[in-house]
Amino acid sequence: MNTLIIKSSKTTVGFSYAAKLALSIFLVSAMAGSAFAADKKIPKLSNGKPDFSGIWQTTSAADYDLEPHSNRKDAPPGLGIVDGGLLPYLPKALEQKKKNFDARLTADPALKGYTLGVPRGIYYPEPFQIFQRNQDLTLVHQFGHSVRTIYTNGTEHPDDPNDWWLGDSRAHWEGDTLVVDVKHFNDKTWLDRAGNFHSDALHVIEKWTYLDANTIEYKATIEDPNVFSKPWDISVVLHRHREKNFQLIEDYRFTLDYDQYYPPKQTTK
Amino acid sequence: MKNKVIQYYLGLLITSIALAPQIAQAADAAQANTEKKAPAQEKPAANNGGSGISREKSFPKLLSGKWTGAKLADGQPDVSGHWSNTIANHSNFTDPQGGIPNDPNPNRLAKGPREERAPSRVSDPVDGQLPFQPWALEKVKEFQVKFHDPTEPQFIEPLARCAPGGVPKSLYWHGYEIRQYPNYVVFLFDSGTRIIHLDDKPHLPNAIKLWNGDSRGHWEGNTLVVDVTNQNGKALFGRSGEFISENAHIEERYIFSNDNTRYNYEAVFTDPEVYTRPFTVTIPAKRWTAADKPNGWHFETTLAKHAGKEPLLDREERICTENNGGFGMGAATPSN
Repeated sequence: MNTLIIKSSKTTVGFSYAAKLALSIFLVSAMAGSAFAADKKIPKLSNGKPDFSGIWQTTSAADYDLEPHSNRKDAPPGLGIVDGGLLPYLPKALEQKKKNFDARLTADPALKGYTLGVPRGIYYPEPFQIFQRNQDLTLVHQFGHSVRTIYTNGTEHPDDPNDWWLGDSRAHWEGDTLVVDVKHFNDKTWLDRAGNFHSDALHVIEKWTYLDANTIEYKATIEDPNVFSKPWDISVVLHRHREKNFQLIEDYRFTLDYDQYYPPKQTTK
Repeated sequence: MKNKVIQYYLGLLITSIALAPQIAQAADAAQANTEKKAPAQEKPAANNGGSGISREKSFPKLLSGKWTGAKLADGQPDVSGHWSNTIANHSNFTDPQGGIPNDPNPNRLAKGPREERAPSRVSDPVDGQLPFQPWALEKVKEFQVKFHDPTEPQFIEPLARCAPGGVPKSLYWHGYEIRQYPNYVVFLFDSGTRIIHLDDKPHLPNAIKLWNGDSRGHWEGNTLVVDVTNQNGKALFGRSGEFISENAHIEERYIFSNDNTRYNYEAVFTDPEVYTRPFTVTIPAKRWTAADKPNGWHFETTLAKHAGKEPLLDREERICTENNGGFGMGAATPSN
């Protein structure tokens, strides 16, 4: 059919330039459609799955407070990233959250340089790098240089593992979306610097999808029956760092309280 | 609710008591680029009750040359997987199997002549000693005395506070995993992560100082060549207290055997602020695979749960912040 159209365009005298252009666009898109499907040219691994390799960061104010909030001395204003706006706390947990909020300038575990956890490490305002192979993704967070492995090799959660700062992550693909099931967390991390928190019953289901080659839509469903009355959803956009020579710079900030004692200094001549 | 803090304390305890002679890993490298075959240690093991740190007394020399093993799609030799050193932990840098210098418990110090133990990690100068400037040697000697009763914070070995192991100590701390990607080789250590950039990016600006330094590498046949700058000099070489300054320059060569079972780390350290001349550090390493039994020091993995028959390894997360301010903090430290 394409051939037919080309033939007619060649033989039609006075065929307008605009029409030719429209035809050629149609042809190019038709050809692209047959060869690459509708993948918007996102990076792919050798196994055909999306390749999220790169250094990523959100521009949202999510880490200041997941919920909608006005400006305050320790935070810019923000719309929040929770579907429906507010977190569905159980009454007792809401009391704890308020205590956390009041103590946030000293009690936030991130201030000690502790690993941020999941999902906080994703929307914390420092870059993280994804290294990806067919069998797994390795996330290295600049903050704390903490390392999380997301398995895409068909393995399941272990039966009775330790509790982890970053949980245990097992993933599968739904089309071009990476779906990650994360559980077996400890209860030592917060969800943001406003004191939103979770217990060790935290369960996170993440969905990672390319919007285009340099932008990821990160969605997560969070449930924790010890803290929340029902599951809730968040969504942030992650942008690829494209600055020249950009790289992670290790940020082991939990060492800052004692690192002045090393190395020995030359005090006498 | 379980967590890993106990394992870290246990690991530290075990590494400090597991200094009696043990069964050595036979140096079973028969690869083409092996210059000489290392003799296996035949002494019977003393039961130390620990996880057992592999204690080869010698190891094969590996030569740089062609890589004939498997390659990744981007052309890198495929050396990904689990590795560990083969002779000892970080208790003593220049007499790796000798025990912590000045250990007040004589049972933990090695007995017998020096030649019966693995050589110094310092392969040049040939006497195996680090060519310290006098002031730096005084500092190291002071550390080696006060380490055992650290009344001031600088005498605590920083790894005991969860600091990253740094270069070169990470290579003789616990086992570790290498993962490779186009433009990167990533070392996942028990305490810290090293991202080695294989592209042509310049080093970070000199004002930025890091526990693991800034690494730029490339492959030459079977050898990963890495240039390391931007050290913060804080990590120390181990419980024997040796150190580099923040302006040290390290030129590393990771020389892999073509059967992909071993590599030797050979690195030239140049640091005129602390030393009188450059010196070379040599650290042997061996590979661990799913066919090996996991253990609590060299090969800390678990078998993944899955429907198939193939053994797949899980790597559990290593996050030591729980221990920050822990081991060794019985000492009075003004900052805490």
